[in-house]
Amino acid sequence: MFAEELKTIRRLGIRHVLLQLLNFASVIASGLMIWKGLGLITNSESPIVVVLSGSMEPAFYRGDLLFLTNPANVPYHTGDITVYKVPGGQIPIVHRVLETRGVVRRASSSAKKAAAKGLADEGKEGAVLRTQPEAEVEQLLLTKGDNNHIDDIDLYEGLEWLERRHVVGKVRGFLPYIGYVTIAMNDFPKLKYALLGILGLVALVQRE
Amino acid sequence: MHSIYARINNFSAFLSSCILTLLGAIALSSFLFTANPQGDLSVLSVKVYPGNSRRQPGLSQEYTFVNFNISADLTPLFHWNTKQLFLYLQAEYTDAKGVRNDVVIWDRIVRRKEEAVINVVGRNKYVFRDISHSFKNVPPANYSLQYNLMPHVGVLTYGEAGRTTEPVPFPPAQDFVSR
Amino acid sequence: MNDFFNELIEGKIDFEGQKLVENITKIALTVICIVSFVLGFGLQSLKVTFGALSLGSLVVFLVVVPQWPAYTRHPVQWLPVKQPTKLS
Repeated sequence: MFAEELKTIRRLGIRHVLLQLLNFASVIASGLMIWKGLGLITNSESPIVVVLSGSMEPAFYRGDLLFLTNPANVPYHTGDITVYKVPGGQIPIVHRVLETRGVVRRASSSAKKAAAKGLADEGKEGAVLRTQPEAEVEQLLLTKGDNNHIDDIDLYEGLEWLERRHVVGKVRGFLPYIGYVTIAMNDFPKLKYALLGILGLVALVQRE
Repeated sequence: MHSIYARINNFSAFLSSCILTLLGAIALSSFLFTANPQGDLSVLSVKVYPGNSRRQPGLSQEYTFVNFNISADLTPLFHWNTKQLFLYLQAEYTDAKGVRNDVVIWDRIVRRKEEAVINVVGRNKYVFRDISHSFKNVPPANYSLQYNLMPHVGVLTYGEAGRTTEPVPFPPAQDFVSR
Repeated sequence: MNDFFNELIEGKIDFEGQKLVENITKIALTVICIVSFVLGFGLQSLKVTFGALSLGSLVVFLVVVPQWPAYTRHPVQWLPVKQPTKLS
């Protein structure tokens, strides 16, 4: 079946195969760079997610793509749609914030000490333009899916409130249907292996 | 383009790029619609009753019940890229310790322009409680009607469509009137 | 018989045809995209946009992909076969 392709590989030599593998690896590496770069800019560990459950219908259906940001030290508001992962929870959950209870501290004691030290280093002139030490935000959140009747307490694995550190990000943008490929591959794992196998073979054999 | 396979390949690749550009243009077109409709929100009554927490048996805390009247015409928010409008009424207060609390007590999903004229006299849908289990030392709260415009493709936007003109105080807790 | 099917599936067209097909795809699809956007925006309906887009792209698909005779009007003129010269 692959006689012609095998002949081609043998003719071109091992160097050619290595070159193809290198091309393949550089494509994967640049994809990874873009993904991680996006994660840095948005301050979120997973800036693009696919909706997995129907608990936010009719706004989000399974297979929709969501774009997240997680601005540091900016408090979340009620009505924000957040993606969070509870320790002990298996998958990230996309739900809307129902209640926020929180306080914004002007600066923690350690930040204040650092700021004071900086001023002393820069001399007694004092006319130094200093940015305000970063305000810290401590928030407790309660969430609920639009399509659920009750809030998410049962999903919190024992916690009473969600904290900032559990939240992966808040939804800013939306693309419908595009993520359905990932859901299909999750539901039919054989499809995932078949696709990877075909891609691998094609990458090795392609001449361009 | 020499074979059917090559032509199909080329066609689908170009079509995909066109579709993505089209989606981007639709998302950008949302920014041309800058309606900011305002409505009226008034709180008719606030009552505080003690009760037992259903989730933690043995814990008794105070629950607030709010009756309110909302009237707003939100039709200017509906354009071709509006998928739905998520409305929510929230209570905002800062308690004695300086802790800011926002609690959503009612919400509604509006999916069509025809349903966008809101006239609701209602009661809070969700349990309204305080983290200290009591409303005794809680200063008066402001109530506001917010909306979240969810597009077919693009950026989600938020806005405020109404607010109480003066803060509404919490009355002292009444004994529960049993029927 | 086998050759006929093979040719049909492969659908070879000559170079002039390929140029024509490439231009048609690019120009037609771009125009269709722009027109669907404007139509939908004017009528404020996403259904109109995607309906026009689907219809338009289907038409372009039918025009471009099959091996129409218009694309085989200029076949390559191969030089006549030369007899191998004997080297003495």
